[in-house]
Amino acid sequence: MRELIDFFIRYSKWFVFAIYSVVSIVMLVSGSALHQSIYMTSANAVTSSVYDFFGGVSSYFNLRESNETLNRRNAVLQEQVEEMQARINYLNAKLAEDTITTWEVLKPYDFIVGRVIKNSVTRPQNYITINRGSLDGIAPEMGVIDQNGVVGVVNVVGPHASRVISLLNPQFRLSCRIQDSGNFGSLVWDGEDPRYAMLEELPRHTVYQKGDTVVTSGYSAVFPAGIPVGVIETDTRVPTENLFSLRIRLLADFSSLDNVQVVKNYLAEEINDLEKDEKEER
Amino acid sequence: MSKSVLNNILLFIVLILCQAIIFNNLVLWNTAVAFVFLYLIVELPITISTNAMLTIGFVLGLSVDVFQDTAGLNALTCTICCFLRKPLYHLYVPGDEDYAGRRLCIATMGALNYFKYMVTLVLLYSTVYFLVESVGHAPITRLMTRILASAAFTLTVIYAIDSLTLARREKRL
Repeated sequence: MRELIDFFIRYSKWFVFAIYSVVSIVMLVSGSALHQSIYMTSANAVTSSVYDFFGGVSSYFNLRESNETLNRRNAVLQEQVEEMQARINYLNAKLAEDTITTWEVLKPYDFIVGRVIKNSVTRPQNYITINRGSLDGIAPEMGVIDQNGVVGVVNVVGPHASRVISLLNPQFRLSCRIQDSGNFGSLVWDGEDPRYAMLEELPRHTVYQKGDTVVTSGYSAVFPAGIPVGVIETDTRVPTENLFSLRIRLLADFSSLDNVQVVKNYLAEEINDLEKDEKEER
Repeated sequence: MSKSVLNNILLFIVLILCQAIIFNNLVLWNTAVAFVFLYLIVELPITISTNAMLTIGFVLGLSVDVFQDTAGLNALTCTICCFLRKPLYHLYVPGDEDYAGRRLCIATMGALNYFKYMVTLVLLYSTVYFLVESVGHAPITRLMTRILASAAFTLTVIYAIDSLTLARREKRL
């Protein structure tokens, strides 16, 4: 017995080393974005308050630029509001005798405004932390956009902060559509340049032109249809294959994200339930 | 609780904050990262027990990981560095009686030895870090540039920190 204890004491550093290494490796391997405890991410109370404090300081730096973009965006939205208002009036007149109210049909989404307090673009898997959490109505699997386009999807939620899987993370695939032709593909980041991503799995007969806009397809409950994502940059077609990919220039500027909106879908639960049923039946 | 322990705890917190707020956002040419918190592992006295050193390294790495959402990556790398720190040190300086209980810096080790010790430790860190981070994904040239550029950047910053503390100590004398 005594020898055993001596043995453990003599080689204790090897044991300690082994334990710490194994713990780290387990965290590394199992740390796949989906099953992580809130304490091990930057959305926990300590880190989020630190980032919130210093993010508050640095967000003043690009105030002018973001103000300009917002003004431009505001003008576009104003035009759309006018147009929609006219359409709603028209539809209301038509649906006057119907039982469905237009309100339910037209407004399944709500937007929660938040600020990015931590962001990265240079890692192989990037995450964003925002200063809104469950107390503000945020839940996992909600989409995040900014004034230019899609940013990511909420992953871990704390009371006052949440962590978002950035579009610049190969674990996140986004179903997209080429706006003009209507063909669908799956957008994923290839880990190279934070300004570009690949639109994959496009059928060979897809018609497109350089500069066409790529928008969200609306096939999941996460994003409404038609949110801009990027612009077609180049073609990587291999003549022999049935599916091909396009290189997309992303519209959101990930290196200077500041204000974002979280998309809250009132129908998300319902849609997910339906999809679950569908899977069970199969 | 001696004064030096308190000093080191303070240094621990300051280094992690610096890393999270400043240096994680300061990635030169999209390649070079400075691992500022490595300064703590570099400077702690060599007489500290390996077990204590491993624990400090693990906690340090884990704290940095939590801030930058890289679960376990820095913790693993720090643990490996702390384990190999003493053997590395003895590659250049035989025997540890001379510096018992004193922090490692240019003044206590001599410029040349300190430089060699630091280069090895920092290179080891950035090699393990980027290798594990990109497990087979990144092309070899990109990996090499990231390792070398980050090591050079880290060395520069750590030298800067070291000269800052040196200047302060000389003034006191």
